[in-house]
Amino acid sequence: MISLEQYIVVSSLLFAIGFFGVLFRKNTLVIYMCLELMLNAANLALIAFSRYHGGMGGNLFVFFTITVAAAEVAVGLAIIVALFRKRQTVEVEELNELKN
Amino acid sequence: MGSELYAYALLAFPFLSATAIAFLFRRNGLVASGISVAAAALILATALHIIFRLENFEFNAHWIELGSFSVSFGFLINDLAKLMLFVVAFVGFLVHVFSLGYMKDDPNKARFFGGLSIFMFSMLGLVMASSLVTLFVFWELVGFSSYMLIGFYLGKPSAAAASKKAFIVNRVGDFGFLIGIIMVFSMFRTFNLTSLSEIFSGDASLLQTASVTAIGLFLFCGTVGKSGQLPLHVWLPDAMEGPTPVSALIHAATMVAAGVFLLCRTGFLMTVDALTVIVWVGVLTALVSGLTAIAQRDIKKILAYSTVSQLGYMVAAFGLGSLVALSGSGSHEHAIVTGGVAAAMFHLTTHAFFKALLFLGSGSIIHACHHEQDIFKMGGLAKKMPITFWTFTLALLALIGTPFITAGFYSKDAILALAYQQDKVAFSALVFGAVLTAFYMTRLWKIAFLGSPKSEGANHAHENGLVMTIPLILLSIGSIMGGFVWFYPEALQPIILIGEHLAHGENHTTVALFGGAAWAIGLVVAWILYGAGAKEDRLERTAKPFHTLFAQKFYFDHVYDWYVAKIQQRIALTLHFIEQIVLSGLIVRGMAGIAGLMGIGLRSLHVGNIHTYVYWFIGGLVLFWVLAVGIF
Repeated sequence: MISLEQYIVVSSLLFAIGFFGVLFRKNTLVIYMCLELMLNAANLALIAFSRYHGGMGGNLFVFFTITVAAAEVAVGLAIIVALFRKRQTVEVEELNELKN
Repeated sequence: MGSELYAYALLAFPFLSATAIAFLFRRNGLVASGISVAAAALILATALHIIFRLENFEFNAHWIELGSFSVSFGFLINDLAKLMLFVVAFVGFLVHVFSLGYMKDDPNKARFFGGLSIFMFSMLGLVMASSLVTLFVFWELVGFSSYMLIGFYLGKPSAAAASKKAFIVNRVGDFGFLIGIIMVFSMFRTFNLTSLSEIFSGDASLLQTASVTAIGLFLFCGTVGKSGQLPLHVWLPDAMEGPTPVSALIHAATMVAAGVFLLCRTGFLMTVDALTVIVWVGVLTALVSGLTAIAQRDIKKILAYSTVSQLGYMVAAFGLGSLVALSGSGSHEHAIVTGGVAAAMFHLTTHAFFKALLFLGSGSIIHACHHEQDIFKMGGLAKKMPITFWTFTLALLALIGTPFITAGFYSKDAILALAYQQDKVAFSALVFGAVLTAFYMTRLWKIAFLGSPKSEGANHAHENGLVMTIPLILLSIGSIMGGFVWFYPEALQPIILIGEHLAHGENHTTVALFGGAAWAIGLVVAWILYGAGAKEDRLERTAKPFHTLFAQKFYFDHVYDWYVAKIQQRIALTLHFIEQIVLSGLIVRGMAGIAGLMGIGLRSLHVGNIHTYVYWFIGGLVLFWVLAVGIF
């Protein structure tokens, strides 16, 4: 059987990939996708715990997380579209307006 | 009407006059002078009402209350205050009238009369004050009025310097005074004079303690400053830079007497040690300033040193009389009026009359001689200004203590009687002082009035109008009659009575003989030594080293100048350096610099790079997790 640890490892891996994606990718949309990846990694971990220890708490929490993530995506993509319309780019380095 | 309403009225009249002049009539000298003189007349009327119609009273109103610390503002009208009120109101009114004539042609007379009104307000408040704190407030106000009036002639740098000197020297004395007041509160938890006198009359052992001696001496510091005792007498002669009515009112009759009045008010807390110091300070002052007066040329300076000398007499009288009372019964009988207080106040009253008259007379002379003040440039004024001459002569006779016919004789006699009873050394010193007084005043009289005029100004001198001569005449009556108890209305008699009993007490023939002999010796020696209307000082020629010592005022001013220039300035420069470098530089600008550095540091975090922000975000998250888990 697949044990709990294996699910957790997969979840951690996914989280790490998303984390380093946020840190190192230059495209804003890719950074956003990595954020979603991190959220989904958390969801996976919650469901795994819920499945292996009984109790519905984990499953219920995942509902909330998916809903909030959806709302956040809607707002975030709207902002990115507006940003693109203003600056004609979504590269993070070129979006820097602070003079160093 | 409650009695305190009259006291409030007494304060209100000059205050309203000064306010009106300050805000409305700065340019209109005529109206200002009218308001001020009217206020002075109202003051005299109210003061006479208080003295004759009202019983002695005390009134206190709560003023400041901070927990257990409370100061009340109030009036203490007893025999002492009534006598002082009479002197202040009467002489004040006459000086106001005299100033109408003296300041007639001065463009700034509105400011002058405003200053006189403020002075009357402060002085009346001082006389009536019932607690040490309110007395101190009015004490400082009187000092301010004096500063303002000495420096009246704005164009004269010497006047500005003199007013600064007066205020600063006064401040030195007031520092000691303030320490005394604070000590009184810390020991007795009250500032009120009546409460304090009750505490002291209830517990005679208090007068044996060293701390009470300290209190007495600190309060005496105020007198040393205000009444021009050695070593803080240096401001009084310089204060002659002010207009002559100011010298007459403030620096002869009233403000300088405030120090003596303070001693009389707080006489109950003086111990034997404190009184001994007071006596010797008074005696030394009388002697040193008497010697200095011998060599002065300016008529006002001679009178100024004479004032300092007479103040020394008053202070010494207070000390000697209180010592007599203490040694007699072991405690103060008549907690309010002992022999010392009576003698001092008696001399204060007579001195107010004749000294104010002498100053006003000298003002009349200076005005008539077109502002010539050197006596060696005058001469022959007896024929040219008869009324001034005769009133001045009467006052002069009173000052030198002409036996039996003048007030000055009786009051000085009372002082000498106390000295004879208590301390023979002080007695001989005071008798020598009387010789000096007779000497320098006769010198002044002979040179200025007799002989022939020595300058153009003296040649064109003529008698002044009525508004200036009537006050002179009124004051001369006081100078002659002021020694007889029946001259004073019944309300004022208690204190004068005690003073006169001293003059007729035991040994009174010996004392009177000594006093009379001193008068005669001084007069005759001066008469022989100086020719009438002399052009130069014979003493200067014959006894040059002594004369220089006296003329240079015993080098007091030189010593103080040296002290200020070498020691005080250097301390001031060091403090200035510390303030610039350490306080302003290191601490104030240093703190600003540190704040700036922190700003630069924090600013460097804002790079605009999203990835850096994410790193900082992670860092914050880790810190938060660590704190939550509880590793720190």
